[in-house]
Amino acid sequence: MTTAELAESRPVLKPAKPARSARPLVKHKRAILLFLAPFGVLFALFYLLPIGYAVYQSLLVVQRDGTFGPPVEVFGGLTQYVAVFQNEAFWASVGRVLLFGVVQVPVMLGFALVLALLLDSPLVKGKKFFRLAYFVPYAVPGVIAAIMWGYLYSPNLSPFTALTGSFEFLSPQFVLWAIANVVTWVYVGYNMLIIYSSLLAIPSEIYEAAKLDGASQLQIALRIKIPLVVPAITLTAIFSIIGTLQLLAEPQVFRSFTSSVSSTFTPNMAVYATSAVPNVNLAAAMSVVLALATFAMSFAFLKFTQRKADA
Amino acid sequence: MHLTRSMRIVALGVASAIALTGCASSGGSTSGSGAAACAPSDGKVELSFTSWIPGIDKVVDLWNAENPNIQVTVQTGPNGNGGTYKNFFNQITAGNAPDLGQIEYDALPNFRVQDGLENIASCANVLDSKSKFIDWTWNQVTFGEDNAVYGIPQDTGPMAMYYRKDLFEKAGIPVPTTWDEYATAAAAIRQQGGYITNFPQNDVNWFAGLVWQANGQWFDSSTGSWKVSLTSPESTKVADYWQNLISGGLVSKVPAWTDEWNNAYNTGSDWTWISAVWGANSISSGAPDTSGDWAVAPMPQWKAGDNAAGNWGGSSTAVLKGSKHPYEAAQFALWLNTSDEALTALNKEANLYPATKAGLSLPVLADGVPFYGDQKIYDVFAKASSQVNPDFTWGPTMTQTYADVADGFGQVLGGTGTLSDALKTGQDKTIAALKAQSIPVVQ
Repeated sequence: MTTAELAESRPVLKPAKPARSARPLVKHKRAILLFLAPFGVLFALFYLLPIGYAVYQSLLVVQRDGTFGPPVEVFGGLTQYVAVFQNEAFWASVGRVLLFGVVQVPVMLGFALVLALLLDSPLVKGKKFFRLAYFVPYAVPGVIAAIMWGYLYSPNLSPFTALTGSFEFLSPQFVLWAIANVVTWVYVGYNMLIIYSSLLAIPSEIYEAAKLDGASQLQIALRIKIPLVVPAITLTAIFSIIGTLQLLAEPQVFRSFTSSVSSTFTPNMAVYATSAVPNVNLAAAMSVVLALATFAMSFAFLKFTQRKADA
Repeated sequence: MHLTRSMRIVALGVASAIALTGCASSGGSTSGSGAAACAPSDGKVELSFTSWIPGIDKVVDLWNAENPNIQVTVQTGPNGNGGTYKNFFNQITAGNAPDLGQIEYDALPNFRVQDGLENIASCANVLDSKSKFIDWTWNQVTFGEDNAVYGIPQDTGPMAMYYRKDLFEKAGIPVPTTWDEYATAAAAIRQQGGYITNFPQNDVNWFAGLVWQANGQWFDSSTGSWKVSLTSPESTKVADYWQNLISGGLVSKVPAWTDEWNNAYNTGSDWTWISAVWGANSISSGAPDTSGDWAVAPMPQWKAGDNAAGNWGGSSTAVLKGSKHPYEAAQFALWLNTSDEALTALNKEANLYPATKAGLSLPVLADGVPFYGDQKIYDVFAKASSQVNPDFTWGPTMTQTYADVADGFGQVLGGTGTLSDALKTGQDKTIAALKAQSIPVVQ
């Protein structure tokens, strides 16, 4: 999963809206521009330009004459997009990660919330140790984590062969959930930390008031803490949805442990396989469709949760 | 509103970026095939060469020491389908490809279709060297055309059967010489608790080698458009044979080239491997505890008394599109793949098996190999090399064909469908991939 979208998502979630009435006069315009320039230039070079180039590539088709005629790229309109929508393997991979997300994201965030609440509870000792311990898996690079789990699942090389020999964790029916376990293991601590830091920001007067009213720790957690950290949970949910759709490293690594992971197992793997053909135009169209779908789903989730909050 | 205005600016930026890139790359490629004039360059020439052969830099050092005016820099990368081909395609598009690249025979059509190769037929000494090479390798680099040479053959992968001599003897199972005997032996070995071999889901080029041995073809481009025949009778025969072994539980499903696979050979769980000459190194490094227990025999035959061998792998050294020094690059490629000095070094560093006729009698190939009980294993492969069908055509999108067939094979190992189904799917997807690239196909 990636956290590259952090920067873009944050402003949208900011709860307080800026005062609109008296717009102060902007001073030091040049200085502001100067300080913004490094970001602007890098953002344009390494973000907007590649995206623009991908969109451009997705509008081309290849033409040639004869068996070995040299390829000529010409404008093809939406031909590649039609091909994307006819590509069964691509949509099968999208369905697979959606199924993955529907199950894995709630489980992972549920774990993260419970762990964060435990860390925030006054009844727990050794908070610093547990906070670090939960977070450590996130410090393991995703590929290394996948290799490690690959060996743990392996039927003959695992330290737990008694278990892995009798139950095939890497069978075609189960491999998706074996991957879900790896992803959960890596990212629970990360999501926990986001929720936990949001818990720390709750003013202690609220707890005092609740205690005076006779609320138990469980009631405080359920009635006060969880409602107040909903924005943080929403944020982690959006990161997780984005990360799920972009799943790549873990299944790619698992290809060297099992024959159950096909070359088009996830949408990103399908894009990679297509670009290796090389059919960069179709791969570009797939990428654009995937990016739009990710954007639409994240946005829909955000709208959905906001409406619930307003209601 | 504030937000929409900034969004408009972003949209404008994207649009102008598209327009800019559009202007920049609308030139397209101009030159086609056909051998251009190939003249030596003046002065000192520096060449770049990308390969994934371990130790290739030491071989190139020999050339650099003797040719101060043509200095070659080596870049190493992952094996072809593992990433280097992708890099080549990107570099060719960007116009900064290395002068020379290692390209396997099965990938040459793909590079030619993408206009990624220089035709070096008109470079001095190139056409004259035809007689030095094993016939089928020359066909691979010329596509059977006159006045066309798209690479210099480097090595080959004639196939034979590696087997655990000690285990076969102890169990009293005769060493199979036909595929029928191989299946019988598979059942006998399974009763002993072992497997005769694994079915390597991702090594579709291995499967192609078996089809090659069975005198089958997967592609034909001689009629002016491509004919795809993954489902030919020979191909189907090979598929049905292995399907029976898989369905009977007689072959292991461990993916090849993994620690689990090495472990299976090292612990004596797998007894044979039908593989190419370069596989000798894979077994000795992956299964070091079994040193001295192995031997090499010719591939099992479809009919008793036949003498057909398949080929798995083998590379050429190609001059990539855009090289400014095709003459010097061609001379280096010829030295690398024909001189005794280079071929000996390549064999010592990486067990490469030469593609030249003279190379097969190099002194390094005459010795017994201790890992194989001091058997002169290269004698078996030299014989196999002469039994490889000289006409075998690879398709123009093999990376895609391999990936799609491998996906199907993976489903078979997972219990869904048959190998023939996988070939049928691979056939359909290959035809679709060719059409997507406007490559003419006949059904």
